[in-house]
Amino acid sequence: MAMDKEKLRSIISEVLSELDIDEKTINTTSSSPVITSKTADSNTLKLTDTGDATPGTITDEVVIGITPAFGVYQTETIIGIPHASVLREIMAGIEEEGVKCRVIRVYRTADVAFTGHDAAKLSGSGIAIGIQSKGTSVIHQKDLTPLANLELFPQAPIIDLPTYRQIGKNAAQYAKGESPDPVPVKNDQMARPKYQAISALLHNKEAEHQDLKKKPQAVKVEYI
Amino acid sequence: MKIIAGIDIGNATTETALAGVENDKVEFLGSGIASTTGIKGTSDNIKGVFNSLTKVLKKANITMEQLSEIRINEAAPVIGDVAMETITETIITESTMIGHNPSTPGGLGVASGTTIMISDLANITENKDYVVIIPQNVSFLEAANAINNSNKSITAAIVQRDDGVLIDNRLKKRIPIVDEVKLIEKVPRGMLCAVEVAGTGGIVEVLSNPYGIATLFKLTPEETKKIVLIARALIGNRSAVVIKTPKGDVKERRIPAGTIEIIGTEGKTIVDVEEGSERIMEAIAKAGNMEDAMGEPGTNAGGMLDKVKLVMAQLTSKDIRDIKIQDLLTVDTFTPKMVQGGLANEFSEENAVGIAAMVKADKLQMEMIAKELTEKIGVPVKVGGVEADMAIRGALTTPGTIKPLAIIDMGAGSTDASIISKDEKITSVHLAGAGNMVTMLIQSELGIDDFDTAEDIKRYPLAKVESLFHIRHEDGTVQFFDEPLDPKLFARVVILKSDGMIPLEGNHTSIEKIKMIRRNAKRKVFVTNALRSLAKVSPTNNVRDIEFVVLVGGSAIDFEIPELVTDALSQYKIVSGRANIRGTEGPRNAVATGLVLSMSEKGGN
Repeated sequence: MAMDKEKLRSIISEVLSELDIDEKTINTTSSSPVITSKTADSNTLKLTDTGDATPGTITDEVVIGITPAFGVYQTETIIGIPHASVLREIMAGIEEEGVKCRVIRVYRTADVAFTGHDAAKLSGSGIAIGIQSKGTSVIHQKDLTPLANLELFPQAPIIDLPTYRQIGKNAAQYAKGESPDPVPVKNDQMARPKYQAISALLHNKEAEHQDLKKKPQAVKVEYI
Repeated sequence: MKIIAGIDIGNATTETALAGVENDKVEFLGSGIASTTGIKGTSDNIKGVFNSLTKVLKKANITMEQLSEIRINEAAPVIGDVAMETITETIITESTMIGHNPSTPGGLGVASGTTIMISDLANITENKDYVVIIPQNVSFLEAANAINNSNKSITAAIVQRDDGVLIDNRLKKRIPIVDEVKLIEKVPRGMLCAVEVAGTGGIVEVLSNPYGIATLFKLTPEETKKIVLIARALIGNRSAVVIKTPKGDVKERRIPAGTIEIIGTEGKTIVDVEEGSERIMEAIAKAGNMEDAMGEPGTNAGGMLDKVKLVMAQLTSKDIRDIKIQDLLTVDTFTPKMVQGGLANEFSEENAVGIAAMVKADKLQMEMIAKELTEKIGVPVKVGGVEADMAIRGALTTPGTIKPLAIIDMGAGSTDASIISKDEKITSVHLAGAGNMVTMLIQSELGIDDFDTAEDIKRYPLAKVESLFHIRHEDGTVQFFDEPLDPKLFARVVILKSDGMIPLEGNHTSIEKIKMIRRNAKRKVFVTNALRSLAKVSPTNNVRDIEFVVLVGGSAIDFEIPELVTDALSQYKIVSGRANIRGTEGPRNAVATGLVLSMSEKGGN
């Protein structure tokens, strides 16, 4: 089936209007980013870059690597979970295990595997979590090749908050040298056809904010 | 030169020895091994025999036509099976206790108070100590705020979600917090309750002590007596909750397992399974040579023995009434079971009894296999030689052995012993319980679902993958790798199989515990059976009167069974060790070698 540019454009805009996304936000390429995402109890997430991220020296830490648009140009996952809640659950999972956590933002890529691997190389324990704006996540280890992983959560549309909590917990357990059971990965055959177009779109939106020359930045996380 | 083959069909493997005979001189040409197909002694075995035979023929470069005779073992006329029943269960009544040991409880210390829902905190007026109950719809932030802002004295908390540390980190005052209580709605409200959390690496000390509970709840001596079981159930936990309810109790009930009736040459004995394996083994020893054993109908014991008999009846196509049990081995074991009435999916290690039974089978089955095989491959196949006699002949090819000699053949289904005296008199015995029973014990004690994983744990040592470039073996030594390991293995306990590492998933048991369970299972079966079998074949019925023992059979290849048995036997001043058949084969191929040797002797006659 042949598909011309115009037809594709109309399909995408249809998908977007169905997902109730404001046309204006889509076209945001301005330099004044929105730095807000609210949790369910309306706490606002504020993410501030504080300079180049440094390699960790303490072994009881997990680094969370976020992609360029996370919590700034995009504020919720592909199914509308606020980034504020996602980050809080992952951090809670790590804290519950008694492990410390640091957040860094990777600018050179929008890919979840490379983000996770860059973060792992900076992590004192060698363990990191990579997360994309649309919600796709990975638990990574510094000695692995970038495209390998300890645990991968490729289907963003079926990752819910309890799963994000569990991802944080597992990463922390790996950092402690324990052997956690892998987080059960759900599988939805329909997720791919249903979300493929929007997923590609969100990835493109994220990739727009890539900066190949910028080093990973340390991020201060505040809930106000 | 006449070429002959001896084939031994065992419970797990079918082994072949190939030899050329000329003027009474035997020259071994090779040995083959293949998995036994089907249950030993049934016509399903033919495929395995064929596999084993073609392997060795190929290796020795000999065709089937060149073979002049094949001899298969007159399989020890016994077949074994294993079964297990739990004999205790733990029941908690009125939600008196939470002892599930969450991995990350919060806070520290021991405290008591009255249970109350966190949402009801604002509505109470009475000033006393409270233990708050936090259900899952309350987030850790809300919970911490509510506790910090309350003007009541809150001494401890019970939480449904895994939020213990999170709440603790946000509280102004440190209190003990037990989390992951799944059925929190069942925790009784308005009751006196005590919560204890020990520091990392510690265990509760107050609530696991009956007098500790008595002090907190101001119990009378009469009441203190009743809470002994609660205290006992909490020993070894890092966190615990005890709630004082009017009829609350923890009971350890013994499941009526029924009795076993043992009929032997020395008379009849009835023994209760509940009394444990030691008493049953005593009764079996007292009965002399066993003629049959029966379980009380309608009980677990009856079910267990009937199951074994039924399997055997089907295999041998005999009537179940004609199946007679020749030997039993019972072993005390335990198995993790969910506690009834528990609030947090607590598990308790319940006592269980494992049974291996040995049944007399028919010689005819082997004749049938021989007949079928002859038709298929066109080489005369004969059944020859009692298995135990053949094994001892084979064992005598081990360098350094001399008559009189005793052997212990440790297989998968049975442990056999035979002894040959100076004047060639051979006595032998077949006992229930061997490799398969060890696997069953490992499976039940670790709560593993599949038999194959348990089998791997039995056969191979363990290691922990500590990084992608190094592993720590179970003895503590470290091994490094140049190439990174598979990420699937990272941080896992792995089984070191010869063809790679297999990660153990869904199992948080420490490497030390698995190792202990594995070694104990092996000791319980093989050391017990080694002593039992040697006592039976010893001319004086005393183990001490045997001087040399050689260990043969599949389980003798194991990396620690021979060591465990040798160690146990050395206490009786017996020289024992793993056989080395023909100086090359290790403990395998004893029976097949014996068959070849007996054939050549007979051929000479």
